[in-house]
Amino acid sequence: MAKMLVGGPPLVFLLVFFAAPSMIMVLSSFRFPGEFGGLAPLAAPEGGTGGDYGLTAEAYQFFFSDVIYVEIFLKSFGIAMATTLICLVMAYPLALLIARSEKRFRNLLVLLVVLPFASNFLIRIYAWMIILGPESGFSHFVNAILGVFGIAPVTLLFSPFAVLVGMVYVHLPFMVLPLYTNLEKHDPSLLDAAQDLGATTWQRFWRVTWPLSLPGIFSGSALVFIPVLGMFAVPDILGGTGDILIGNLIKDQFLGTRDWPFGSALSIMLTLAVLSVAGLSTWVARSAMRHGQ
Amino acid sequence: MGRALRHEAWPITMSRANIWLWLVAASIYAFLYVPLAIVVMYSFNDSRLNAEWVGFTLHWYKALLNNQEMLTAARNSLVIALCASLSSTILGTMAGLAIHRYRWKFLPVLVFTPVAMPEILLGVSLLLFFLQVLNVTLGMVSIIIAHTTFCIGFVAIIVRARLQAMDDSIFEAARDLGASPWQTFRLVTLPLIVPAVVAGALMSFTLSIDDFIITFFTKGVGEPILPIQIYTMIKVAVTPEVNAISTLLMLLTLTMIIIAARLEARASSNRNNSRQAR
Amino acid sequence: MKPLSLPGKASVLLLLMLALAALSAGCTAKGGNPAGSEKEKDVLYLFNWNNYLAPDSVRRFETACNCRLSQDYYSDNEEMLAKLAAGASGYDIIVPTGNALDTLLRQGALKPLDKSLLPNLRNINPAYLDTAFDPGNNYSVPYAFTLSLIGFNQEKLKELDLPTDTWALIFEPRYLEKIKGRVTVLDSQRELMAAALKYLGYSVNDASEEHWKQAAALIVRAKPYWAAFSNAGYIKELAKGNLWVAHGYSNDMFQAALDAKKTGRPFTVGYTVPKEGAVLALDSMVLHRSGRRPDLAHQFINFMLDGRNSAELTNLTGSGNPNEDAMRFIEPEIAANKAIFPDAELLGRLEMLRDLDRRQRRLLSRLWTEIKLR
Repeated sequence: MAKMLVGGPPLVFLLVFFAAPSMIMVLSSFRFPGEFGGLAPLAAPEGGTGGDYGLTAEAYQFFFSDVIYVEIFLKSFGIAMATTLICLVMAYPLALLIARSEKRFRNLLVLLVVLPFASNFLIRIYAWMIILGPESGFSHFVNAILGVFGIAPVTLLFSPFAVLVGMVYVHLPFMVLPLYTNLEKHDPSLLDAAQDLGATTWQRFWRVTWPLSLPGIFSGSALVFIPVLGMFAVPDILGGTGDILIGNLIKDQFLGTRDWPFGSALSIMLTLAVLSVAGLSTWVARSAMRHGQ
Repeated sequence: MGRALRHEAWPITMSRANIWLWLVAASIYAFLYVPLAIVVMYSFNDSRLNAEWVGFTLHWYKALLNNQEMLTAARNSLVIALCASLSSTILGTMAGLAIHRYRWKFLPVLVFTPVAMPEILLGVSLLLFFLQVLNVTLGMVSIIIAHTTFCIGFVAIIVRARLQAMDDSIFEAARDLGASPWQTFRLVTLPLIVPAVVAGALMSFTLSIDDFIITFFTKGVGEPILPIQIYTMIKVAVTPEVNAISTLLMLLTLTMIIIAARLEARASSNRNNSRQAR
Repeated sequence: MKPLSLPGKASVLLLLMLALAALSAGCTAKGGNPAGSEKEKDVLYLFNWNNYLAPDSVRRFETACNCRLSQDYYSDNEEMLAKLAAGASGYDIIVPTGNALDTLLRQGALKPLDKSLLPNLRNINPAYLDTAFDPGNNYSVPYAFTLSLIGFNQEKLKELDLPTDTWALIFEPRYLEKIKGRVTVLDSQRELMAAALKYLGYSVNDASEEHWKQAAALIVRAKPYWAAFSNAGYIKELAKGNLWVAHGYSNDMFQAALDAKKTGRPFTVGYTVPKEGAVLALDSMVLHRSGRRPDLAHQFINFMLDGRNSAELTNLTGSGNPNEDAMRFIEPEIAANKAIFPDAELLGRLEMLRDLDRRQRRLLSRLWTEIKLR
């Protein structure tokens, strides 16, 4: 009974507002694009001749007919991986500090991490254009350092570096929040016990804190990795001429080429790829934990 | 029942051993806030193109207060964000609990796939669904439903991570002591997952208030929404009015945060007082 | 007294949020009503580009018609088309660019105009009437136009001794190596391909695979010298002096030039239409078939065809104006600018983009992906 009450409402909501619409899109990936936009009708209109109607795997054939799409997938996964790792390295110390600071400051500190994100996303990206632009203090600083090593000045803006900075900036709180909620739950007496047994600070961290925080790490990583793949605004604004990710490609299909079947097919391939990566990592994590015991 | 003072004392103090941790944390906060400082600073900039600092002016704030459309858009966005964050927090917490405790096979897929799907697909599919299957008029409600759909997964992930860090035997103990499922939830589970719930609510709020793609597709006719206003202004270069409204929105959120922190402080001092009174 | 426990605090916060929501909802219940509940006077729903209608014009129209004008925005034709293709309805007037108008017509999404209600139509320069997709102007009326051209830092290019009147500036490595990393091009499949096609001597509407491949090769060869593909960011960077050459739109260049002057830069921003020719993007007002107030819509169109109202937009944003009657209201420096008001000779070199069918679009999309990735 309790099961129904707790699990029921979200289940019903998602079935109606997610599963059903998604089925529409899965179906649309098997249709022809409309001659001038949207989708072609499923059945030929009365008296119509020629033209393509009905179902087809054309969109998927198009996807597999050129290696270029797989290349973009790989490139996007690379950037997503890099962003996730950098976010993890930056977020962990911060989350640790917040989780172990005085109780009355904790909520405030967490909320301060989220506060910047109450302002508009695009405006902050444009602010990064100013920070990374060739005229800025930061650019001069970086180039001065590079000059010491005899390296020619670089432009920070319109480059993969700028895209990475933008992606990390936008997704950092998504890593901090799950990590924090996990770390906050750790029992201090475990660490006390470890210290009693003679463990050093590093050992205490690596053997006690880190394994316990793994669920938080996985959640945070998922919340960073996946949105990065679908994001198109950051590469559009901060990226150079070669910085196209899968998100840009998908957006182009709906808002550029008007090729909804191909856009749907790409999205479905992306979703499948992500779900399999997630499933794979969960399986790896579980077997690692089993072995660890 | 306090323990004797340990080397690894919590809370972390400003001791020399912890100086690195503080430095790293401070620099990350700086990383988060420098672009913000630029946004705020440039809202006072006397230049329409806002490419570089020219001079101080309050002109943009005045223009903003006269810009009925922007204000309505901001109001709409706030309402949507609050409603969407409320509904997705409730549903997402329930989902997180259900996934952790009941291990239904299909629920995780249903909850987490919206997070994995590109927003454009969600937006277009919901639009088609609303218009062609449900045949409803688009409006604020359609946007709220759309936002809830993609926020549920985020909340569920955070709540589940929190539950995974806990010892499940607590719940069994509560049941053994005769507590009903509702009592177990109210007195044991909920207090323990509150930080995750609040974090989820926060995340949904920020996701909703700034969402462009899904909002663009599911919004109705004639209702301005803030991210759409701003995004569509990009073509003609964003004026500092946008900086002004971003600054104001941040001030509003900051005020909410401070009020929440004050309530928390008062609540914990209440607890301390009543403990002393005994 | 039971102290406030953790769940208690959380519920207080929730209540606070709810209260705020209720307050804000109740506070301004007057503004922004959905299209359903109408204690409102008449409303005209406009789907338009952002900043494409002067606020003064809006005010005067609302007074003149005793109605309310409600605008929704898009920043790209494709966004508008995508939303309409999914079935969105309720807009009275839309302002599509040429090829999007082409699409809407072929989809049968528009209502014909009642020209008897549009006496001001005679103000329009005949050169902009009778387009290939709407001969006789039964469905559309010209609103404003922009040209795609090259904007540049005049002093810098003179110093580097580079030509400013040809597409070669952004396509030829021998010129590009002097300005490497200081050039951006439009992030638009159609626009960039059109520029390349024009440079090769073909029409912008040439859809042969062979010619497209040539154009793509041209682009890929020039790409390493370009800083980025940019649709709007280039305006600021050009005005700041970070960029020296940008492929963009005439009204954006107008904005950049104005800003460079206002902020007292040591350079000026110039812009010319290359001699090989360029794209003319003509935006028109059309009636969508789902609109409910064609009467108000016609009133608005006639209002905007009046010279004074039409001129306001041009003075504000530097967009081209097809209205002859508007010329006397336009500021002289803008009126004299050839790139905003092309003369007959220049007009002859300009072309409007037509829409492509789905096979062509898919091919172009594949080429564009390769261009971006290689």
